[in-house]
Amino acid sequence: MDRLHSAVVIHSSHVTKSYKTSTRPALEDVTIDVEKGEFAFLIGPSGSGKSTFLRLLLREDVPTSGDLEVGGADLVHLRRSKVAAHRRRLGCVFQDFRLLTNKTAAQNVGFALEVIGRSRASIKQVVPEVLEMVGLDGKASRLPNELSGGEQQRVAIARAFASRPLLLLADEPTGNLDPDTSADIMLLLERINRTGTTVVMATHDNAIVDSMRRRVIELQLGKVVRDEARGVYGVGR
Amino acid sequence: MRAGFVVTEVLNGFRRNITMTIAMILTTAISLGLLGGGLIIARMTDQMRDVYGDKVEVTIYLTPDQSAQDPDCRASPCTDINKQLQANTDVETIDYESQAAAYERYKQQFAGQPELLEIGTPEALSASFHVKLFDPQRYRVIAEQFDGKPGVQSVADQSAFLDRLFSLLNGIRNATIIIALIQALAALLLISNMVQIAAYTRRTETSIMRLVGASRWRTQLPFMIEAVTAGIIGAGLAILGLIGAKFLFVDKALGPVIRSGILPDIDGATLVWVSPILIAIGAGLAAVSAYVTLRLYVRL
Repeated sequence: MDRLHSAVVIHSSHVTKSYKTSTRPALEDVTIDVEKGEFAFLIGPSGSGKSTFLRLLLREDVPTSGDLEVGGADLVHLRRSKVAAHRRRLGCVFQDFRLLTNKTAAQNVGFALEVIGRSRASIKQVVPEVLEMVGLDGKASRLPNELSGGEQQRVAIARAFASRPLLLLADEPTGNLDPDTSADIMLLLERINRTGTTVVMATHDNAIVDSMRRRVIELQLGKVVRDEARGVYGVGR
Repeated sequence: MRAGFVVTEVLNGFRRNITMTIAMILTTAISLGLLGGGLIIARMTDQMRDVYGDKVEVTIYLTPDQSAQDPDCRASPCTDINKQLQANTDVETIDYESQAAAYERYKQQFAGQPELLEIGTPEALSASFHVKLFDPQRYRVIAEQFDGKPGVQSVADQSAFLDRLFSLLNGIRNATIIIALIQALAALLLISNMVQIAAYTRRTETSIMRLVGASRWRTQLPFMIEAVTAGIIGAGLAILGLIGAKFLFVDKALGPVIRSGILPDIDGATLVWVSPILIAIGAGLAAVSAYVTLRLYVRL
């Protein structure tokens, strides 16, 4: 595989991650490439290593061995001072939304731009745009507790997408939502994916995986056991 | 990044962490107040050394026989002593005081105490040389040169008394500074604690900042500003405390002693001199403690 090829957003080669407290590695010999514009599901039971892999991509942790690159940046040898710049190219969405409860929807999105040094003028322009894109244009001044779960997740997605990331990482984004709301969130992620942003989503939700028919990477006990271009959650599950 | 944004975050931080912030400000204030007190005492001691140094003189007392036989210092050994003193490069001025002159001074000194005047006679007093030195610390050289010489009874100076006074002042200064340092350690630990609690109460913000790629200094800055602001407020209180102590305590209790010139006054200049030192130490202490805490104990 040509690693310098610009179409490759994630290049993971024989990545292993072990923790001192565990006898078995959290990830073992994970070799996958994800190309620009791809939508990939990362599936597998709890403890299979999905979240560990996302943590490595975010550079919250470093692989014990192997090569890991995101957008051409070598995450194994990335200097501490370059970590923030690396994360600015990523967007993250979580099951628990992680919104600031004392800030409105618009302020939550604005905060993320403010702390990475975006100008006031640019924030003023981007925040309404991105809130409109996620379907919250009339609810910009609501606090998180005045929004439904699905709406809160939309705010989180708006925040993740506001800086137009190269890669959007979603860790169980529908885990706290009912099936209808989950379907709406998936439509939104699909829309974001169509803008050219690569999406990697860790999930347990077989209905979503089955209905989307996108790439499926299945992990079990830290190993990649399946990698299908247009997969389903799994036969007999 | 806008300044207003940082200010809002800092104020929110204070509001959420108010009890710990107050404790830290008060401890810092006490520590810096004591340190300021120590510095003022040290400065006063230096001023006193200068003032008293000018007044300190060495007195060479002549024997009673010599004093009686040669009252006007016209013959040896009195003239020898005078010549040797004039030849000594350490000596600034020489005053000869005859037995009669000493008696006159005695009478003036104890004018209000007739019982002392009655027992004093000119013969009981010695004639003496009052010698002023360029450097009062060189007293010992004079003492060694003249002690035991013919006609000399003893060599005395006032520095022994001043040494005792200064060692008392130095002791007070050292004790104050030691207490200030112990308090400073407490303040340091409180600042560290305050920063840890602040980081904990704002862990959602900081985790989001980290996720979206805010730089480390950007994430740390509000905590640093918070600690430094608290440190400066502490220093401000310490300065107010020192001003209060001067007017309410020192000026009242020691007023007569200061007016008579025995102790130098703690004037506005002294307080102006000590204030920036305390502010710099307060801010510096807080900044260093916050920075080290953020580096070592808080994951940002």
